[in-house]
Amino acid sequence: MTRTLRAEWVKLRTVPSTAWLVLAAVAFTVALGALVATGTSTEHCPTPSTCDSDTTKLSLIGVHLGQLTLAVLGVIAMTNEYATRLIHVTLTAMPHRIAVWAAKTTLVAAVGLTVGALSVAGSLLAAGRILPHNGFTAAQGYAQLSLADEPTRRAAIGTVLYLGLIALLSLGVAAIVRDTAGSISVVLALLYIAPMARLMVSDPRWQHRIDKYAPMTAGLSVQATRGLGSLAIGPWAGLGVLACYAAGALLLGAVLFKVRDA
Amino acid sequence: MRRLLRSEWTKLWSVRRWAIAMFGMIALTVVFIVLTSNSGSSNANDYPDFVVGPTGRPVTDEFEFVHQSLTGDGSVTARVATQTNSHEWAGAGVIMKDGVKSGSRYTALMVTPSHGVRLSSDYYTTVDGGSAGAPQWLRLTRSGTSISGYRSADGVTWQQVGTVDAHRLPATIEVGLFVSSPEALKVERSAGGTSVSGHATQGEATFDGVRIESAQARPDQSWIGTALFRPLTPAQQADVDRAKAQPQGQRKPSGGGPGTFRESNGTFTVFGSGAIGPREPADDMVEYALFSTFLGLLAILAVGVLFITSEYRRGLIRTTFAATPARGRVLAAKAVVIGGSSFVIGLVACVVAIVIGFPNMKRHGLAPPAYPTPSLTEGTTVRAILLTSAFVALVALFGLGVGTIMRRSAGAITTVIALVILPVFVAVPLPLSTAQWLLRLTPAGGLAAERAKPPSIEVAEPWATISPWVGIGAVAAYAAVALAVGTWLIRRRDTA
Repeated sequence: MTRTLRAEWVKLRTVPSTAWLVLAAVAFTVALGALVATGTSTEHCPTPSTCDSDTTKLSLIGVHLGQLTLAVLGVIAMTNEYATRLIHVTLTAMPHRIAVWAAKTTLVAAVGLTVGALSVAGSLLAAGRILPHNGFTAAQGYAQLSLADEPTRRAAIGTVLYLGLIALLSLGVAAIVRDTAGSISVVLALLYIAPMARLMVSDPRWQHRIDKYAPMTAGLSVQATRGLGSLAIGPWAGLGVLACYAAGALLLGAVLFKVRDA
Repeated sequence: MRRLLRSEWTKLWSVRRWAIAMFGMIALTVVFIVLTSNSGSSNANDYPDFVVGPTGRPVTDEFEFVHQSLTGDGSVTARVATQTNSHEWAGAGVIMKDGVKSGSRYTALMVTPSHGVRLSSDYYTTVDGGSAGAPQWLRLTRSGTSISGYRSADGVTWQQVGTVDAHRLPATIEVGLFVSSPEALKVERSAGGTSVSGHATQGEATFDGVRIESAQARPDQSWIGTALFRPLTPAQQADVDRAKAQPQGQRKPSGGGPGTFRESNGTFTVFGSGAIGPREPADDMVEYALFSTFLGLLAILAVGVLFITSEYRRGLIRTTFAATPARGRVLAAKAVVIGGSSFVIGLVACVVAIVIGFPNMKRHGLAPPAYPTPSLTEGTTVRAILLTSAFVALVALFGLGVGTIMRRSAGAITTVIALVILPVFVAVPLPLSTAQWLLRLTPAGGLAAERAKPPSIEVAEPWATISPWVGIGAVAAYAAVALAVGTWLIRRRDTA
């Protein structure tokens, strides 16, 4: 197993796009979060000390960009082998397909979680420095962004896991579809069609259903630190919904990887 | 060039998947317009904050009126000596009106604290009379079928502000002084939505030199003060009756009544609240209908990207460039074909959305008088339809440009989605000013083009708060830059 892992690691590491995508994912996430933090101030609030902005969630908003980059990474980790026919060599050298699949899953999860941890840490640090300049000061009674705060810790850990799950979901879809453009399209459709539809339907029942069962909206409910009562689904339960999608894709991907000709 | 266009046309429409995606946009629009137009509802007509104006459109007509009656030709003159700055659009001046019923025809000439002298008629006509405030002499003269407004700094030399048609006013009208001061609106936005609350402001102005002149002999009359308010609907009256225990915060009920003004030695002090003008709801039926094209954008942008990247993937690009060595012209032909095709597809989708959507919306409460059904041929509707089709075409062109630059479908589709679709979701929970900048600086701002009514901060969706032209300009800039860079790269690169 260690040799399989090592082989997969070499393949993943030596594709030039991997390093770029990791860098881009972290940079995009932190940059978008910092931009939004810069644009968020207490000015628009009823009074400077009564803002009910969910500053934790706003600081982590860059996850919207980070997840796209990770989705590409997760897909390429699989489809690249098909595009270059390397898959024949891989399976000749390591005929035990489930081991190969397990190694890929482990590595993509590790990369996803690492990117997630770096992005979340960077976003919280950046926003933590910017927000006090915009009026969110301790003197005005605002809790400063800190992992000691339980909801913020939940949002931070949850976002790291969210990004890991997005990478895994993409890997699973890629194993099913096997073509880069096709896989990306399916992942983006999975993530975005439901929220786009949610903006269009005005029926609150349907909006509630979409918030509850769509992978992106449900998964991102883990970022909420305020107004939990108005969420369609609890933070951890929402992340669980996304985990189900990822597990489903990984499972179906594993079965197809096992039974199909390469 | 014609043969080049024809070959690109063949490439686009002979790939069955792409043709399905292009027509899929129309199908998706139909699905969503049916879903959305049947699921929403509005009780705006049961709980109106408007009265029905002379042309059947919703208007607001609330102010303090100090008046006498006048038959036939004549004029009213007064000097607005002082005006408090209760609201930037507060008005104080002279008015000629068809009776004292809220919603009737009128012509008014006023000064405002921040917007100068204005001549206003029948809610929808306004003439800018230059930037001057109180003290100011104002005069309205009725002559035959028209009313003219004049202003003067000293009461000696008069300057005409404008003339408006008044042939629909009856012979006998009420003329006199008026003071208005609109509600101060407070808009609070949060991730969940937008809440708009207004609180009344009270305007105060003093007048002197008040004079009514008449072409016919007219008996002496005393001044009558009337406060104009909109009448309550049965639904509102029931709510008021139920809430009798706590009468604060309720609007004054209906139909006029004694107003508040004082007169001493020819100087009038008048207090008034409310506004005179159109009161169209911020919600826009055209925007609602056209927004159903949103999901179809995914299909269009994918075709835009694949139109070039699939040539790289299959090596067809070598054949294309061997046949037409002028590579810039190949890209131009592709742009014309995909841009033109998606414009037409977008146009059909928009018209279909409106034709299916409006009757459904009307049945679910978006009905006159609060929501006069917009006509397909109205200028603003036509603008929204054309700009939305242009938005669809520009998204396809942006996809083509990014596809040319990146040459890989996956990266290009992801990039285009990140710039066109993603900002929409990022913008919704943001504070308004940040959201507006995000939309002005990304192609997602093109959604602003779907709105036919003027941008309004009272709506929940942040893209409806920026100008449609700014929004479409952002998409056009992205498409132009992407295509320019693509052309430059395609000329200097090796083919594959």
